[in-house]
Amino acid sequence: MLMCRDLARIASDYIDDELGTGQKLSVKMHLMMCKDCRSFIGNLRASTDLIRAHSSGKQDPELVRRIDEQVAQALSAKKKN
Amino acid sequence: METATHQSNEDILIQGLKSGNEAAFQKAVRLYTPGMMAVARYYLDNASAEETVQDCWVTVIDAIQKFEGRSGLKTWLHRIVANRAKNHLRKNKREVSADFSESLDPELANRFRPNGRWATPPTLRFDEDAESLMENGALSDCLDQHLARLPETQRSALMLYEAHQHKSDDVCNILDVSASNLRVLLHRARQKIFLMVETFQETGEC
Ligand SMILES: [Zn+2]
Repeated sequence: MLMCRDLARIASDYIDDELGTGQKLSVKMHLMMCKDCRSFIGNLRASTDLIRAHSSGKQDPELVRRIDEQVAQALSAKKKN
Repeated sequence: METATHQSNEDILIQGLKSGNEAAFQKAVRLYTPGMMAVARYYLDNASAEETVQDCWVTVIDAIQKFEGRSGLKTWLHRIVANRAKNHLRKNKREVSADFSESLDPELANRFRPNGRWATPPTLRFDEDAESLMENGALSDCLDQHLARLPETQRSALMLYEAHQHKSDDVCNILDVSASNLRVLLHRARQKIFLMVETFQETGEC
């Protein structure tokens, strides 16, 4: 029988639908009976959503300033040559 | 779809870049840096991504001379960033010798009883969706810190996988890992993020 620890090992495969039919079925059966694992799967899924929301970029004015500076330096160095 | 005016604006900008005009560079930097950062972040943590994008702009000063406009300027810039980011990954690849035999995070493994049931089950509750959670600046900063602390290959696996919307083959090719090892990398990275968010919500601290 699939225990909570076994399920935790393959939780991402379940979330991404990468399990074979048999394993998928045992996970589903376990989830029907186990509140803690339902919560774990939910949390892991939410963490994944968080990563996706997080990596969808923000603009940093400080970075733009640094690039301006570097480009200006490189341009004037080039003109001297 | 590009309009005619848009095209000619881009042509003017390209001419400016080719002649080494500083104002043209300032304009292009503001226009294209956000997209370039997004590309770099597929591969790298924030600090390395910034470094990579910065280097790219310096490279562009010379490389733009060879730009023939067959692809748009944006596509061309994105390709430069992607190549540089991949090189950066390859140079730092020692970490790939990570342990692929255990997919459970050691910290999480400690939370089970010997019989395999939860001893310390997850306490975390998400009452908000991801977008509104990310508006919490402290959580966002904490996530940045933890992402930076992940082994580079785990982080790249995670970011690339999410960015490519689950195209595993692409990610395996870029990272040069097998499909089953990618599964381990992904799972290990997600568990770390889960543990981080749990601590953050319990203690309010990173
Ligand atoms: Zn369970």
